[in-house]
Amino acid sequence: MIISQVLPKMILWGGWRLWQRNRDAFRRSWKVEVGGIVIEPFVLLGALGFGLGSYINDFGEVGYAHYIAPGIVAGYAMFHATFDSTYAAYLRMETHNIYEAILFTPLEPEDIVAGEVLWGSTRATLSGTAVLVVAATLGLADSPLAILAIPAAFLIGATFASIAMILTATATTIGAMNNFFTLFVLPMFWVSGIFFPLERLPEWLQQLAWALPLTSAAALIRGLFTGQITWLMFLWAGQLFIYGLIALIVASKLMRRRLIK
Amino acid sequence: MDPIPIIASNLVKRYDGIVAVNGIDFKVSRGECFGFLGPNGAGKTSTMKMISCVSPISSGSLLVSGMDVTHNRREIKKTIGVVSQSDSIDPGLDVFQNLISFARYHNLPKERAECKALDLLNLFGLEKYVKSTPDELSGGMRRRLLIARALLHQPSLLVLDEPTTGLDPHGRRLVWERLNYLKAQDITILLSTHYMEEAAYLCDRLVMMDKGQILAEDEPTNLIKDHAGEYIYEVQTSIGNTQKLIRDLSALGKDVINNGYSISVFGALSEYPIDPDLFDGYEVKYRPSNLEDVFLKLTGRGLENL
Repeated sequence: MIISQVLPKMILWGGWRLWQRNRDAFRRSWKVEVGGIVIEPFVLLGALGFGLGSYINDFGEVGYAHYIAPGIVAGYAMFHATFDSTYAAYLRMETHNIYEAILFTPLEPEDIVAGEVLWGSTRATLSGTAVLVVAATLGLADSPLAILAIPAAFLIGATFASIAMILTATATTIGAMNNFFTLFVLPMFWVSGIFFPLERLPEWLQQLAWALPLTSAAALIRGLFTGQITWLMFLWAGQLFIYGLIALIVASKLMRRRLIK
Repeated sequence: MDPIPIIASNLVKRYDGIVAVNGIDFKVSRGECFGFLGPNGAGKTSTMKMISCVSPISSGSLLVSGMDVTHNRREIKKTIGVVSQSDSIDPGLDVFQNLISFARYHNLPKERAECKALDLLNLFGLEKYVKSTPDELSGGMRRRLLIARALLHQPSLLVLDEPTTGLDPHGRRLVWERLNYLKAQDITILLSTHYMEEAAYLCDRLVMMDKGQILAEDEPTNLIKDHAGEYIYEVQTSIGNTQKLIRDLSALGKDVINNGYSISVFGALSEYPIDPDLFDGYEVKYRPSNLEDVFLKLTGRGLENL
């Protein structure tokens, strides 16, 4: 019922038009950001995977770097989608009045949310691909199926961009977003199975971790990197999709409430 | 037949119990420049937002381009161009891209968008800034770019909310001159302003608004003639016994309004001329009336100070 209320209002070309705007702006500024996209995951994989990893023997011959590489793909896809759809989107909305101007054209708040999510997913795909290339170069991707991490990164981006847009639609100041990162995004990053398997955690924490979308995102990409496809991977993808869809609908409703007064 | 650009009847806007627009009626005809003149907080911007379909009406009815704003937002927005008060030039894009991104929001084909964007940059004297970043533009150029951006999809109605607020006199002149050109192109223009010279210069017809209501509606010259008379005495009141002067003028049947720093005496050209001796010892200006005087007459207050 709520889906039938919101979804027909989203005209895909409307979101696509905002996506094009964000792409044009990115083309003008990407040189500043390229370090964050490529060099940072390279350093992280090197320092943790090979540096810290040389002291960790539980992963046997496979090695710790092998374990964390797919999780880093998921984590960076998450980070880039989340950053863009929170801080950057908030700046577009509040500081640069871009949403206000867009609303004077045939586009409506739902189109804006759709466009931002589409763009957040694109950012996730770019950074996920960059980490994948770094990981493959370092010999950390075993299966050719790892290439499917690219569309998976898009899905992960869509989920987290949608969640982030809920925050953007409700934030009263840009500082209000800091809590989201310190209290939600970073804790999730550390307990999502990216850096260690969850089996030895207390039962309740394991269940909590599996309820978080980043855990399924990391597990999904790990499956693709190892090439061991299980039915669980469809479940994880489904979980991301459902979370994203719910968040997209909620964010659209909240964005309309914020922008149309 | 083309629809009437705007018909508002008993239009009301409330925000959380505050009444911003309190039951106004007006009609804007095709090809005219229609103005809203009033101080800050009069309800001009609220009215403009309802017309622009970014703020739902609370009650009454509002038809824009013949369509109801409650049900046809996307369709209406295709037919109007809006320049709001906030500077919404996209700093992430260059000047040309700013226009192109807007043409895309309107779903214009690429070639037509590029052609139209260059035409408009020429028209608004910005042809040298095609590849500039917006922060290279002056305040007046930015405002002209915003107006150009609102014209890309060739709207039949242009809605301008205080288009020259914050501009220097030269920048204001340039905007006026372009708007005059657009008027000659048969575009219907709806304009809000708190500058009476702007309203007098640009508007074919205007309403005076205060506290959410329309006080008067007519052509600028008629408003002046009917409410303020053609000439006015303005008496500086920093010296002398103003109470006595006001009493004497009122006894002559003159409308007198004391706005603190001066006294305005209306109806200066009536059949009961004022004895110049009455003003002895005062600094008096005798001048043609303007819209500011009309507002003062109607509300007892000036336009700029609340």
